[in-house]
Amino acid sequence: MEIPTFDVFQAISDPNRRKILQLLSKDSLTINALAENFEMSRPAVSKHVKILHHAGFISVQHIGRERYCILRQDGFNQLQEWIDYFDKFWLSKLKKLETLLNQKSSTTKR
Amino acid sequence: MQKAITHQFTFSQPPEEVWEYLTNAELLAQWLMPNDFKPLVGHRFQFNAKPKFPLGFDGKIYCEVLEIMPGKKLVYSWKGGLSREKPSLDSIVTWTLTPHQKGTILTLEHKGFKGAKNYLAYIIMNKGWAKIGMRLFHRLNPA
Repeated sequence: MEIPTFDVFQAISDPNRRKILQLLSKDSLTINALAENFEMSRPAVSKHVKILHHAGFISVQHIGRERYCILRQDGFNQLQEWIDYFDKFWLSKLKKLETLLNQKSSTTKR
Repeated sequence: MQKAITHQFTFSQPPEEVWEYLTNAELLAQWLMPNDFKPLVGHRFQFNAKPKFPLGFDGKIYCEVLEIMPGKKLVYSWKGGLSREKPSLDSIVTWTLTPHQKGTILTLEHKGFKGAKNYLAYIIMNKGWAKIGMRLFHRLNPA
């Protein structure tokens, strides 16, 4: 199991990278094919692909001579794990606040 | 509207008292984290936690007070990562206090995980990762 990192947030914070994910959600594409959808240079697209790859959102597979970018679920799972993490984090903190408030009122009222 | 995480608690204490626990740095530290919060719009402050460098987290949450309505509403940014300059997590925390009988309904909203909602919804619809998809979608869009 991979350890979730903040990289997942970094990865999706960029609109170009989100567009890459959207394009790949329809079909697996080569970097050249991806680059056709952007104003930016192929190396720039390649850099974004690298970041997405690192964050677990896509995998790159060699098919014949071409390298295809394919959507991967890991990045999405990590994102979910982070959201779950914060969800639990806040719940436990709020419970602590509740305990504090109740302790305080029980000591002042008595 | 981007909604990621929401929690609602009802306290028997009045809003002024709950507000103190959200805005007095010392009281805030008692239940949340050590911090240098001040109730001033534009004030930049930090929460300090344990660093987790392998996870890309330097242990600090970098915040800025964005909105204050005393006793009613408090909004701050919530950024984290390996540095203040390049946060990988960029989100917003909103506290809302509503009087309820003699007590308070406190609502926390932690949202804006930049872009998360829009593209996830899109990809989920297209890819049909039904299970993970619907779970995430509901979480990000509570009814």
